[in-house]
Amino acid sequence: MKRRSFLSWGAAGFVTLWSAVGVSLAAVVRFLTPSVFYEPPQAFKIGNPADFPFGPPTFLADEKIYVFRERDKGFAVASAVCTHLGCTVAYFPSDQKFHCPCHGSVFVSDGSVQHGPAPRGLEWFEVTLARDGQLNVDKEKVVPPAYRLMV
Amino acid sequence: MNVIRDVWQSIVRRDPLSTDKGKSELVFLNLWLHIHPAKVKKEHLKIKHTWYLGFITFFLFLILVTTGVALMCYYRPQSPQAYQDMKDLQFVVFLGRFLRNMHRWSAHGMVVCVFLHMCRVFYTGSYKKPRQFNWVVGVFLFLLTLGLSFTGYLLPWDQLAFWAITVGTNIGSYAPLVGKQLRELLLGGHSVGESALLRFYVLHVAVLPSAVILLTMVHFWRVRKDGGLSRPVWKLKQDQAEALVTIGVPGDAPALTVTTAAKDKTYGLMEVVTGKPIFETVTAEEEEDVVFSYPYAFFREAVALMATVTTIMALSLVWSAPLEELANPAKTPNPAKAPWYFLGLQELVSHSALLGGVVAPALMVLALMAVPYFDTNPSRRPADRKWAIRVFTIFVAINIVLIIVGTFFRGPGWALVPPWVHIVAGAE
Ligand code: HEM
Ligand code: FES
Repeated sequence: MKRRSFLSWGAAGFVTLWSAVGVSLAAVVRFLTPSVFYEPPQAFKIGNPADFPFGPPTFLADEKIYVFRERDKGFAVASAVCTHLGCTVAYFPSDQKFHCPCHGSVFVSDGSVQHGPAPRGLEWFEVTLARDGQLNVDKEKVVPPAYRLMV
Repeated sequence: MNVIRDVWQSIVRRDPLSTDKGKSELVFLNLWLHIHPAKVKKEHLKIKHTWYLGFITFFLFLILVTTGVALMCYYRPQSPQAYQDMKDLQFVVFLGRFLRNMHRWSAHGMVVCVFLHMCRVFYTGSYKKPRQFNWVVGVFLFLLTLGLSFTGYLLPWDQLAFWAITVGTNIGSYAPLVGKQLRELLLGGHSVGESALLRFYVLHVAVLPSAVILLTMVHFWRVRKDGGLSRPVWKLKQDQAEALVTIGVPGDAPALTVTTAAKDKTYGLMEVVTGKPIFETVTAEEEEDVVFSYPYAFFREAVALMATVTTIMALSLVWSAPLEELANPAKTPNPAKAPWYFLGLQELVSHSALLGGVVAPALMVLALMAVPYFDTNPSRRPADRKWAIRVFTIFVAINIVLIIVGTFFRGPGWALVPPWVHIVAGAE
């Protein structure tokens, strides 16, 4: 075998081997990434507007959201998931703030951080009126805290 | 009765243990024992040199594998069956609670002992040349031990488990660039749920234990290939301190002359090479300081094994592993705490998630791995390494203090509370 062809075969072999390793690794990562998530949908209906009282927000445990309904202002939906490490925050009507049980973050009622380790305010989700008259919340769509749905 | 004797002989194939040849054959004809040398230095058998901590860690791992396989017979990694199975293990399955307790207390014990073992290796300077790499292998074993504990923590699928893992995995997602993706790969979803439970189970019963077994084999092999254990520090005389560690350099000995073996030779020799071996060697005047592994080393190891098993059994009779309510993603217990060995981390995280949860632990692990390569001071005598000892002691102290603060001084809302609050709460 000539020296030239030995080198080029060697280089080709080397490249093939490492590409195979790279492709296999990528395949492993892709394999571990679920193609379907059997998780609750991110957009869902939460009921009729009339179901929600005025005053302190309603906590929906399974969806982990707080539904605010204010007179003349309309509906707003806040995430109940603390932006620090994901614990569920509790709303205290007494001081009108969200308190996180895990590391003590406190959020005022527009969701912004008052103190504690949370890096960002609570998220607000888009809420719309579905055709059947129910409220529809989409957790994929984050909106500014001032967002309101007038019904 | 000749048959019985013949069968026995066919299995052990060694001379009687009353003979020196039998004692060595016991070791090197046996797959399980041959990781030992046939003879060991007396000084290595001294409890105050190793405190047998490496062995105890290993024995705890054996208990974990045994009890873990037993628990697997009743455990299903699904929600909510996982929790029901834990209840069954506690109240229905014969010995179920006892086995679960043993598994839980050995797991905690292993985290403690692996840490103490690391400390003893540090304080005796046993990570120095030629043992640098074995220390690095050790750091990986330490991380794997934490990983095993952490993945196991989720499996009972109770409130404690669910929130500890929610908080724990969210810490990881603060890692720049890859954090979020890594968390998703680990959980198989966006939050702790059914797929996370399954993945943690696979890691806990298959991936991580296999990794520990493989690395432990490397670890033990390296202990032997590094020349057995390091010498106890009190044996290091001033003038010897250096000589004993300047090893691995090419020897300047003249080439050996190999003579043809006598006709009755009974040994096989692979190769004769010149040069100094990479490990500490026994000098001629130390020859009489060695004893046969059988019975001296084996006896002590057996005692350590018995003591470990008995202690774990006794603890498991008296204290039960906790089991709270079924995991409820909607309701966070207050306070929600990570497993105790991560409470130091959680304490840091309560001040800054990125610095405390990602940067600080990453630096700590890197620093640990780099120890043998940075600390190039060849002497192992404590008097010669005051600074290394001080720095390491501060490192240990910080970790312990943070864990104590996180465990005892943090109450609802992560507010500072006096520690007796927990005692009162615990008595309810
Ligand atoms: C699953 C975890 C581990 C097991 C089962 C284990 C087991 C052992 C055993 C049985 C020994 C023999 C002597 C003794 O008992 O001290 C040993 C020695 C040693 N271990 Fe480990 N170990 C583990 C983790 C670690 C860690 C975390 C480190 C350090 C970061 C480490 C570093 C070493 C070194 C350097 C030696 C040699 C010590 C000497 O020559 O005196 N090991 N290990
Ligand atoms: S998770 Fe809310 S403060 Fe840490």
